[in-house]
Amino acid sequence: MTQQKAIRLGAEASAEMRFIEEEVALCYQCGTCSGACPVAAAGGMDYTPRAIMRMIQAGMEQEVLSSQTIWTCASCYACAVRCPRDIEITDVMTQLRNIALEKGYKARRGKVYNQGFMGIVRQHGRMWEPRLVVQYNLLTNPLNFLGLAPIGLKMIRKGKLRFLPDHPKGRSEIRGIFDGLEGGGE
Amino acid sequence: MKYAYYPGCSQESTAEEYNHSLQAVARRLEGIDLVEIEDWNCCGATPAATVNPALPHALAARNLAIAEEMGMEMVTPCAACYKNIRKASHVLNDDPDLLARINATLDGHQLGVAPRVRHPLDVVVNTIGVDNVPVERPLHGFKVASYYGCLITRPEGGFDDPERPQSMDRLMEALGAEAVEWPYKTKCCGGAIYMTTEAISMRLSADVLAHAKAAGANAVAVGCPFCQLLLDLYQDKLEAIKGTSFDMPIFFFSQLMGLAMGLDRKDLGLEKLVVPPFELLAQTIDAPDGAPEKPKKKRAEKLKTWGEA
Repeated sequence: MTQQKAIRLGAEASAEMRFIEEEVALCYQCGTCSGACPVAAAGGMDYTPRAIMRMIQAGMEQEVLSSQTIWTCASCYACAVRCPRDIEITDVMTQLRNIALEKGYKARRGKVYNQGFMGIVRQHGRMWEPRLVVQYNLLTNPLNFLGLAPIGLKMIRKGKLRFLPDHPKGRSEIRGIFDGLEGGGE
Repeated sequence: MKYAYYPGCSQESTAEEYNHSLQAVARRLEGIDLVEIEDWNCCGATPAATVNPALPHALAARNLAIAEEMGMEMVTPCAACYKNIRKASHVLNDDPDLLARINATLDGHQLGVAPRVRHPLDVVVNTIGVDNVPVERPLHGFKVASYYGCLITRPEGGFDDPERPQSMDRLMEALGAEAVEWPYKTKCCGGAIYMTTEAISMRLSADVLAHAKAAGANAVAVGCPFCQLLLDLYQDKLEAIKGTSFDMPIFFFSQLMGLAMGLDRKDLGLEKLVVPPFELLAQTIDAPDGAPEKPKKKRAEKLKTWGEA
């Protein structure tokens, strides 16, 4: 077990890390979050939310940032509404994903999905689902296209697939939001 | 009252019928006039905050700024957009530094004070009032499991209780349907992770439908395009997981309102539902003698749906 302090609050800590540190410091390990979590119950997490909270307190940066849990969190806020300490657990998970991407942790599916999603929004101003599905599967598991065919056909039959993207007029404004934040943010 | 209407991306593709039926309902209802925000942009759903914590607030700020220019409260039917933009409106109104930083990235619009952001269910139930919905063809025979999912009531501070919401149930009763009491109405369908972790989201959705079925529902009502997509489009997969047949039409609540209000059915997009609702309609509101007193249910079959896969 590596005992790194990087996730702990320090002079150099970013706003995201300070947020995580402050929230997680409140946790007294009751486990209500884990009991509320539907993904943990369905076997989709390697560490329960409670364990993640404790690991952050213990400074286990590597284990936390390379965990499956931060990527399978469905952001449903069931943990956050039940937490007796009012910890924003869902938002902590989101920011852990953010830090994991920033620090280059291996999370191929999460990276391809989240960055691919936002790349489409940056370019088109709105989501264009068929491109996301094609792009994501090409980059992660091209064989999956076979499995997608029945769903795709169903969607086409029901007119639920949009073959061309929407093009709102203010696309340059929307791109400006992305560029402005990336340049001036962090 | 006029509302700045933000449909959201899904309402122009996978959930077009939600958009159309809601607009048709709003045209008929007194007290709600939806004026679409021209040129709206995507809210960034769940991925935005993963890429950059300020990004969902910034994307919301542009839409909020246009709504502010229109001088109206915002209404958005998508639960994910609703959560993102509602949250951003609170964060930006409380944090002038972040607002200034975000306004600096906006070209052409500037946000002063973010207007209130509402889900249409909130407007119908809490502003118009369920008793003011003109019901012409009561949904007798419908046993509706109202499925709120996550983001209509969470995070806290919205218009209904995050653990045991009632607004959609009250609406269904006002429409003449039976509101089925069931324990999974705020459980997550896994919509945000179904691209990356499909197996888990399928398991979550299968549990939701199994509980709706076990509670005796013959229809599910939703107010979120992702809940609808997973429960409807993937229903055969969910049935395979549970080894049972659900045969459960998944309506947007606005479609059920439209049916009860006797609106032109071509505006309700019923044919877009993957699990066809027409047998249920034929047995209930379209039945020559009205709804049967007690739809037959085999108890053994009901119990089977509780079992794990």
